[in-house]
Amino acid sequence: MRTDTSLGKNEVIDSPPQRKELKRFLKVFLGRKIVIFFGLILLAVIFTAIFAEQVAPYDPYAQNLGNALQPPSAENLLGTDSLGRDVLSRVIFGARTSLIVGIISVSLAASIGVVIGLIAGYFGGIIDSIISRLIDAIIAFPAIILALAIGAVIGAGMWTVILALTIGLTPSYARVMRGQVLTVKEQEYIKASEVIGANNIRIMFKHVFPNCISPIIVLITLNLGVAILAEAALSFLGVGITAPQAAWGAMVSEGQRYLVSNPNLSFAPGVCVLLIVLAFNMVGDGLRDALDPRLRGSI
Amino acid sequence: MEHLLDVKNLSTEFNIDGTHLKAVDDVSYHIDKGEIVSFVGESGCGKSVTHMSGLQLIPTPPGKITGGEVIYKGIDLLKLKPDGEEIRKIRGGEIGFIFQEPMTSLNPVLTIGEQIMESIILHLKVGRAEARRRTIDMLKKVGIPDAESRIDDYPHQFSGGMRQRLMIAMVLSVNPKIVIADEVTTALDVTTQAQILELLRDIVKSMDTSLILVTHNLGVVARYAERIYVMYAGTVVETGTTKEIFNNPRHPYTIGLMNAVPRLDDPKDKKLVPVEGLPPNLANKKDQCPFLPRCVFRTEECHSSPAPSLNEVREGHAAACYVDVSKVQNNNIVEDEVASSMIVGEQEKPIINEPALPEENLLEVNHLKMYFPVTKSIFKRKVGEVKAVDDVSFYLKQGETLGLVGESGCGKSTVARAILRLYNPSEGEINFQGQDISKMRKKVLRPLRRNISMIFQDPFSSLDPRQTAESVVGEPLIVHNLVNNRNEYTQRVDELFRMVGLDPALKNRVPHEFSGGQRQRIGIARALASEPSLIVCDEAISALDVSIQAQIINLLESLKEQLNLSYLFIAHDLSVVRHISDRVAVMYLGRIVETADWETLYDNPKHPYTKALLGAVPIPDPFIEEEREHVVLKGEVPSPLNRPTGCSFHNRCPIATPECKTIDPSLSEIEDGHEVACINI
Ligand SMILES: Nc1ncnc2c1ncn2[C@@H]1O[C@H](COP(=O)(O)OP(=O)(O)O)[C@@H](O)[C@H]1O
Ligand code: SF4
Ligand code: SF4
Ligand SMILES: [Mg+2]
Repeated sequence: MRTDTSLGKNEVIDSPPQRKELKRFLKVFLGRKIVIFFGLILLAVIFTAIFAEQVAPYDPYAQNLGNALQPPSAENLLGTDSLGRDVLSRVIFGARTSLIVGIISVSLAASIGVVIGLIAGYFGGIIDSIISRLIDAIIAFPAIILALAIGAVIGAGMWTVILALTIGLTPSYARVMRGQVLTVKEQEYIKASEVIGANNIRIMFKHVFPNCISPIIVLITLNLGVAILAEAALSFLGVGITAPQAAWGAMVSEGQRYLVSNPNLSFAPGVCVLLIVLAFNMVGDGLRDALDPRLRGSI
Repeated sequence: MEHLLDVKNLSTEFNIDGTHLKAVDDVSYHIDKGEIVSFVGESGCGKSVTHMSGLQLIPTPPGKITGGEVIYKGIDLLKLKPDGEEIRKIRGGEIGFIFQEPMTSLNPVLTIGEQIMESIILHLKVGRAEARRRTIDMLKKVGIPDAESRIDDYPHQFSGGMRQRLMIAMVLSVNPKIVIADEVTTALDVTTQAQILELLRDIVKSMDTSLILVTHNLGVVARYAERIYVMYAGTVVETGTTKEIFNNPRHPYTIGLMNAVPRLDDPKDKKLVPVEGLPPNLANKKDQCPFLPRCVFRTEECHSSPAPSLNEVREGHAAACYVDVSKVQNNNIVEDEVASSMIVGEQEKPIINEPALPEENLLEVNHLKMYFPVTKSIFKRKVGEVKAVDDVSFYLKQGETLGLVGESGCGKSTVARAILRLYNPSEGEINFQGQDISKMRKKVLRPLRRNISMIFQDPFSSLDPRQTAESVVGEPLIVHNLVNNRNEYTQRVDELFRMVGLDPALKNRVPHEFSGGQRQRIGIARALASEPSLIVCDEAISALDVSIQAQIINLLESLKEQLNLSYLFIAHDLSVVRHISDRVAVMYLGRIVETADWETLYDNPKHPYTKALLGAVPIPDPFIEEEREHVVLKGEVPSPLNRPTGCSFHNRCPIATPECKTIDPSLSEIEDGHEVACINI
């Protein structure tokens, strides 16, 4: 008799017909104009970040002190900064740094946090107690001190920012996930899969996880914005992105000194941060709804 | 004669995203003083909206009353301002409304006394002291013990049945002329249902108030109503006195409903005749008989004519149907078997020589105990135990159905969950196919789960909302490696779909795209997938509408015959259990108090609790109900936290003697296979 009840070889035939599912997903996802609009903005930003060398009109690091602090003009569309560097080019290269920081730290935090939360919530008991105490400890530790400590050990720079953000953001995912799992675990359909003999791995990943992701997606889109803003704060404290690398947060804080005379120095990267945060949120909302089969046909 | 309430051609629409949903379509009815009138029909047929429209209680938008008059004491209520002074005086003052879910109509942060007094002061213009006196009076009338002290309690401190009593007290405390009771007992047990309805009837009769009883339960109608309106798809399809309608039903839907419900006095071999198909979508209704797609009496005329209107067939009895079904006899227009069985009422099941049951038991539960610790404070200190199941034993053979009945909270579901090892039993044995699974490690148990399935009560929460129907049904196949490749998998899933009467073409839909009945079929297909020998059905049909219930009961019965399945069938509906079970066990407060084969148990019940339960079930026949004696069981099920000493039934038992307080009776056999736990029989 075949008694192997693990995921096993039959897993291949377990996935729902992919094409139909994809069609439905796209239909809901692309069904809203606002999602398409911000989706395009996001794509444009990602495109410029990847092809910054090709897109930027000037070298973002080329200083020209004689041409410092110029207002926007035909040559320098967004003016120049205190070292005479082209602001537009720096904003374009900044997109690269900011996106890398945001995306890497948030995806690391989300994947680690979600798995931890899933394990804690699903198994409960002593495992849950230990994990929950650990999460509390990390949350109680001030994020800034943590970042400064990391900076002291490995030095300032982009990877310090990513590491600090990952550690700082992970607990919130673990917490949200754990709470979700605790509710979903009590649902009758989970009991039903236990009754048919599904093992823990299968129940966790096939039934519990998909029903917990909505708030995680919301959290991810919020945190992408948070991460980009935090990069600014860390740069301000000197453990962030080091000069001369361009990053939006760092640029906003640099530009603050000239806020009255040259507002474009802070404004340009600031507006970019705002746009990208909005875009992440809108696309995240669309994604959440498109992934939810309960909303089929209701749009 | 002038009617107390006279509603003419009432129509109500809901406009949602451009579709017009005709929830109430040209409905006329009247209520006279002191009458009990019932509105019957399945969920969604417009019963509630009809009555809420009359009082302008529907939300506008999306709702809109598009026409008609509601004449009460010479004024048209629809002409009054929806939130004006006048209608407020009538609403809640002259016409009271009791809802299905009392918890949502009681304010959780105010004591019940404050809430009832507030409405008395508002409508009767009396002082606080007087209002309080009247409130206590009313609480006593509706049977709240210690009314003087409980008046200062909050709603959550009362049980479901008690809250319904509070609602009745609140509504009746202002001496209304009409009371509308909307499915007030649907969520309650038969015994509580009988208590509440008897109470409601006695009070309205003594106050000469009219009662509108909205329900889908034909038994309730037969027992309490004097006149009936049968509603279908937003229209009244038949009306008349209760006796006339039960005696001489003229609308095919009424006939269909009557044949779809099992009755306590049915012959055992009666086959239920479900009303096939689904109720129509009320959006964009066509001008055609709304029952046409499900009707077995339909003729050419029905197809080509506009929707029929109510036509008097006799004095005071009207039906909206072109065909005179009383004249349609067996060989007239009868197109198929179903129609003939609808006319004859009962169709004999072919008698097959049932194979003798095997010697050995498929399932044997011995002295099962399930205790839950009660903990207090954040330190989880154990302060007591809920003895949800306390020493329960029974057996089940292959091919047999054991019914398990009892009021809610008596431990039925806990037994089911312990057998499925969703709980770890505190004590006792569960022998399944000769192996004790009560303490087996979950890992070892998993492969055995193939042989025991479960059908859950709620067809909505028991299916993963993110799974397609196909993957729900196919999951056991994958978990137990029952198929070798995609092809086999698809074939088997399709076969399962067809087995439960679902079109395999629907398998890519997700659960919320199905109706309740269809979802329950998906749940059944999932339960069948691993070819189990035992299926535990925990209230598997309770959440469904009556016509759909019959479809599912028939499905379960035919599957049992085809596949030689065994069912542990848990339900609170005693008529359904009688219909489906070979043997029945009655539970009270965590114990089995009586068990016997179905015939003995229903025809010759011995335990006073069994008798009380059976007496509380109304039979959908006004003539029989008139003859029956209605003994109402007093009180409520005590909490399993402090079980009464001796026989735990003694505080409610009509034949209790002093010894009952000290002697704890155990099950003893009084005749072959009939066991009773009572010292006084
Ligand atoms: N997990 C639990 N913890 C504490 N008490 C419970 C639990 N499950 C059930 N009970 C209690 O056990 C009793 C029996 O419940 P249940 O088996 O659900 O009754 P039924 O199925 O007859 O409605 C009830 O008093 C209920 O409150
Ligand atoms: S009018 Fe025709 S279709 Fe409608 S209920 Fe009567 S017989 Fe059936
Ligand atoms: S033992 Fe006594 S209290 Fe219990 S059921 Fe029998 S008569 Fe009633
Ligand atoms: Mg139950």
